[in-house]
Amino acid sequence: MMKNQSRFETLARLARSEAPPRVDVAGRVIAILSAEQVRLDRASDKPLMWLAAFSSAVAVPAAVLAIIVYNNWVGPLFELSQAIAWVTQ
Amino acid sequence: MVAYPSYMALSVVSGRIGGIGLEQFPAGLVRAVADSVSVVEGRRRNAPDTAELEDVRQSRQGDSGAYRRLIERHQEHVSGILWRFSRDRLVHEELVQDVFVEAYMSLRGYRGKAPFEHWLSRIATRVGYRYWKQTARRRETENFTLEEWDRVPDGSAEQMDPSEAASLVHRLLAQLRPRDRLVLTLRYLEGCDVAETARRTGWTRGMVKVQTLRAKKRLEKLIAKAGKGLE
Repeated sequence: MMKNQSRFETLARLARSEAPPRVDVAGRVIAILSAEQVRLDRASDKPLMWLAAFSSAVAVPAAVLAIIVYNNWVGPLFELSQAIAWVTQ
Repeated sequence: MVAYPSYMALSVVSGRIGGIGLEQFPAGLVRAVADSVSVVEGRRRNAPDTAELEDVRQSRQGDSGAYRRLIERHQEHVSGILWRFSRDRLVHEELVQDVFVEAYMSLRGYRGKAPFEHWLSRIATRVGYRYWKQTARRRETENFTLEEWDRVPDGSAEQMDPSEAASLVHRLLAQLRPRDRLVLTLRYLEGCDVAETARRTGWTRGMVKVQTLRAKKRLEKLIAKAGKGLE
């Protein structure tokens, strides 16, 4: 029991002095984070795009309706002003 | 003449000199100064670096250059930790990468009270442990034979190549459950004490002690089961 334990401890102590392989992950990490940032930006843009589409869909019929109403509203006045202009000539 | 900072002088005067007799003065003074220096050095070691804190702050604001500096400063340390978790170079590199990605994502959680390196060590341990759990779930085991273990000469084990010794211990521990493997790796391969192991794993100190004992017993059983028995 002691033999195995002390052998394990000796090996572990030796293993501690082993140098790990050199790595350089800075470039890749930054690239991953940038890609993630772009993805997040796009994801955060999506609700705005949907909102813009919905607004346009509501705004176009509203504008058409407004023009029709306006024409109906100002039509008689326009005719009246034309009549007055004709009388005063 | 060396100019000591004022806080060190205060510590010497108030903490140590008061009770020392005149004849013991020089030895006492030397001891008191040495103690104070070690306390101050200890505090300095545990205090985060100002430049590093600045880099952390800038990284939080999205400065990739600052984060690159942090990675370059700490990747060797993280690599050392994760080399205990995987000795496959590709996997190892991926794990180191994961640690820095995960660290960036939780950078807001770093309060700057302890060195950044300590905080990264905790994340590295978590990433490594998760990797072990995944491989255990996939039932991927590393080859280990007791013949290799028995080939280690008792008297001259110290003369073994560190890399060979590390590989043997790694494969032996891989036969254990991730939890047992983690505690033995931290205690024996990383050389962490109970407090440091508790800090890295998030366990209590009592739990670390119990887990270490259990893991050692399981390791002994493992060797016994494989045929050699425990003397």
